[in-house]
Amino acid sequence: MPDYALMNQRVFEGDRESVAEMTRAALEAGRPPLEVLEDGLIAAMRVVGEDFKYNRIFVPEVLLAARAMKAGMAVLQPLLTSSEGDSSAGTIVLGTVKGDLHDIGKNLVGMMAEGAGFQIVDLGTNTSAEEFIAAVREHRADILGMSALLTTTMVYMKTVVDEMRAAGLEHVRICVGGAPISQAYADEIGAHGYAADAGSAVQLFKRLVAPSAPPA
Amino acid sequence: MRPHLKMLERSLIERILDETFTVLESTGILIDSPAGFERLRELGLPGDDATRRVTFPRSTVERAIADAPSAFTLFDRSGEPFTELAGDRVHFVPASSALRILDRSSGEPRDATSADFVEYARVADRLAHIAYLSTAFIPKDVPSDIADGWRLYLALATSEKPVVSGAFTSHGVPRMAEMMSLFRRDREDLAARPNSIFTCCPSTPLRWAEDAIQNLLDCAGWGIPIEVVPVLLLGMISPATTVGALVLHSAEVLSGLTIAQLVRPGTPVLFGGAPASFHMQLMTNPMTAVEALQVYCGYAAIAKHLGLPCQAYMGLSDSKLNDPQAGAESGMGMLLAALAGFNSVSGPGMLDYVNCFSLEKLVFDDELAAHALRFTRPVEVKDDLPTRPLLDELLRENHLLTAEHTLERWPEELYLPGPMIDRTNWEQWDLQGRPDSTARAGELIETALEDYDVPPLDPALDAEIRRLFSSTCNEPGVELPALVERR
Ligand code: B1M
Repeated sequence: MPDYALMNQRVFEGDRESVAEMTRAALEAGRPPLEVLEDGLIAAMRVVGEDFKYNRIFVPEVLLAARAMKAGMAVLQPLLTSSEGDSSAGTIVLGTVKGDLHDIGKNLVGMMAEGAGFQIVDLGTNTSAEEFIAAVREHRADILGMSALLTTTMVYMKTVVDEMRAAGLEHVRICVGGAPISQAYADEIGAHGYAADAGSAVQLFKRLVAPSAPPA
Repeated sequence: MRPHLKMLERSLIERILDETFTVLESTGILIDSPAGFERLRELGLPGDDATRRVTFPRSTVERAIADAPSAFTLFDRSGEPFTELAGDRVHFVPASSALRILDRSSGEPRDATSADFVEYARVADRLAHIAYLSTAFIPKDVPSDIADGWRLYLALATSEKPVVSGAFTSHGVPRMAEMMSLFRRDREDLAARPNSIFTCCPSTPLRWAEDAIQNLLDCAGWGIPIEVVPVLLLGMISPATTVGALVLHSAEVLSGLTIAQLVRPGTPVLFGGAPASFHMQLMTNPMTAVEALQVYCGYAAIAKHLGLPCQAYMGLSDSKLNDPQAGAESGMGMLLAALAGFNSVSGPGMLDYVNCFSLEKLVFDDELAAHALRFTRPVEVKDDLPTRPLLDELLRENHLLTAEHTLERWPEELYLPGPMIDRTNWEQWDLQGRPDSTARAGELIETALEDYDVPPLDPALDAEIRRLFSSTCNEPGVELPALVERR
C-alpha cells in the first residue's frame, strides 16, 4: 500500500519531483489511478484549502502545493479514462472584460482555482463577448468567470451575460468579480455568482458545479 | 538646511541604476500593441517582432534623462503660472480615480454623481494646503466612455487650479487634450502652458499595455506633463525586497520617460509610482504598507539623483473609514513624502486601496499636509544663537511671552492647527459640545462651500465643451448633467 500520508505531505511541501515519483511508484505497485488521484493528491489539496482558509498557510504555499499536485496529475492523466479525466473539478473560461487591462486579481483567481482542481482557460485581458462565447463552446466550459476593475468597463459584463443567453448558453454558470463589482451588481446583470476574493471565488465555483447546485 | 530623508547611499543608487540600464538594454519592455510597437521602432528603439519587446540602449535612456526637464511650471486655467514642480518643493494633491465615494450622511460608500464631483472640486479649491486638484473619482451619471474626460471638464469648470488626470481608454487622451486646448490659443500654447498632469501606467512587470502605450504616446505628442506610475505588488509581481523592487520600478519609469522624450524632447515627466505590498493571506495590495513606503522613498532618492521631478501615491489609507488607521497611515505617508521631497503627492482624501474617496478625509489631510510641509522648513538660526541673552531674559522674567524675540517670531514659528487637530483640554472640548472629527470636518466642508467664489466658465466655452462630449460619446445627444453641487 503506498504511503499516501507521506505523499500528501510532499504535496503540502510543494515537492514536485517526489510527488511525481510517488505517483509513478503507486501506479507501478498496481494501485488504481483514481485511488492515487483521490487519496494521494486531492486529499492533500483539501488540507491545503482548509489551512489557507484558516490562515495557517499563505498564498505561496498554496501555489507550491498546487504545482506539486499538477506534477502528479501529469503522470496520472494518460491513465484516467475520459470520464475519470473529467474528474477535474470543472472547466472555467476566465478573462478580464473588453477595455480593461487589469489582470492581477483574475490571475490569482485562476491560480487558486487551478490549485483546487479546476481546468482554467485564461483568455487574458480586454476580452470581447465573442471571444468568451467561442472559448466557452470550444472548451465546453462549466463556468464563465469575468473580472473587471474599472467602473467604465464593468458595464460590459452585462453585454456578455446577455450575449451568452442569446447564444443559447444558459446552462453555463457565470461568475463575476473585481473591485467595483458587488453581489448586487451580479444580481442586477443576471450573473450566477459573485466573489470578493480568490479564496471565496474557488468556494463559489465548487458550489456552482456541485451536482446539487440549482439549475442556472 | 531642509530636513531630508536619506535612504540610499550614492553608491547603492548607482548600482541600482546600472542594473536598471542593463534590464532596459537586455530584457527590454513588452509593448502589447502592434501599432505602439511599430511606433517605437519608428522612433528608433530596437524591437523584436516575435516577442514584441523593445530594448532601450543605455545611451538612448541617458540622452532622454538629459532631455527631460528637471523642473516645470503648471499653469492655471487661464494660463497664468501657478506653481513650479522643482527641487524639493512638495505639493499635496487629492488622490485620483476612486471607484466610489464615502457618503457624508450615511458613512457608507456609494457611486458618485457629477454633483458630488462639483462639491468635491469646490471644497478642494478652497483648501490651503492642497496645492491643486485631481480627477478624484468617477461620476457615474454620464455615459461610461466619456467619464474620464467629463470629470476633467468638471474640475476645470469648478476650479482655476491645475488638475492631475488621465485617460481610461486608448482614445481618451486626444479628446481630453482637445478640451484643454480650448483654454489656450492653440495646441502649442497648451504644451507651453500646461494645466494638467496625466497619469500613464506601465503594467508591471516590464510591459506597456495597449491603452497605456497609446496614452503615453498621445500625452507626449501633445506635450502634456506625464507622471509615469508603475504599480508593483511586492512579492507578487515584483521582488519582495526593496533593492530589487527599485530596479524594476526604475526600469519601468525610465522606459516611459525615454519614450516620451523620443516623441517630444522636453516633455515634462515625473518619476512616479504607486508601489504596494502584496498581502500573502488576503491577496490585497496595501500601498501604505511600511515596506512599500521604503520603496517610495527609495525611488524618490533615485529621481533626485537623476535630477528628475517625482510623484507618489502617498498620504492615502487602506482603511475603509476615517478611523485611527486612516489618520496614522495618511500622516505617516505625508510626512515621509515631504521628507523625501516628492513634488506631487497624490493621496489626500483616499481610502480603501485607492477605491473610495472621502471629502471628510480630504479636509483632515489638508491639515496633515500643513504639518508635513511645516516639518520640512529649513532649520536656521533665527536671532537665537548665541542663546544666552534670551535665556537671561527668560530667567529674569520667568517667561518669554512678551519678549521682543517671541513677539516677532512666534506667529511664524508656532503653528496653530485648524479645527481638524483638537488642541483643547478636556473641559474646553466638553464645553464645545464634544465635537468629534467627523462633525468638525463637516463644518469645514460647509465653510469651504460657502466661501467658494471661483468665476464660472465663459458660457460659450462651456457650451462648446459640452457639445464636444455629447457629440462624441456612445450615446450622441445624451443630456449631460448640469453643473450643480449636491446640497
Ligand atoms: C470570475 O470571478 C471572479 C471572482 C473574484 C475576482 C475576479 C473574478 N476578479 C477579481 N476578483 C477578486 O479576487 C481577486 C483576488 O482576491 C481580487 O482582485 P483585485 O484585482 O481586486 O485585487 C488584486 C489582487 C490586487 N489589486 C489590483 O491588482 C488592482 C490594484 C489597483 C491599484 C490598480 C492596478 C494594479 C493597475 N492599474 Co488601475 N488599478 C486600480 C486598482 C485599485 C484597487 N485597489 O483595486 C484601479 C482599478 N485602476 C484605476 C485606473 C484609473 C487605471 N488603472 C490602470 C492601469 C493599472 C496598472 C497597469 C498600473 C495596474 C494593473 C496591472 C495589471 N496587470 O493588472 C489604467 C486602466 C487601464 C485599462 N484600460 O484597464 C487606469 C485608467 C490608469 C490610467 N490613467 O492609465 C482605478 C479605477 C478607476 C475607476 N473608477 O474605474 C483604480 C481603482 C485605481 C485608482 N483609484 O486610480 C478580487 O477583486
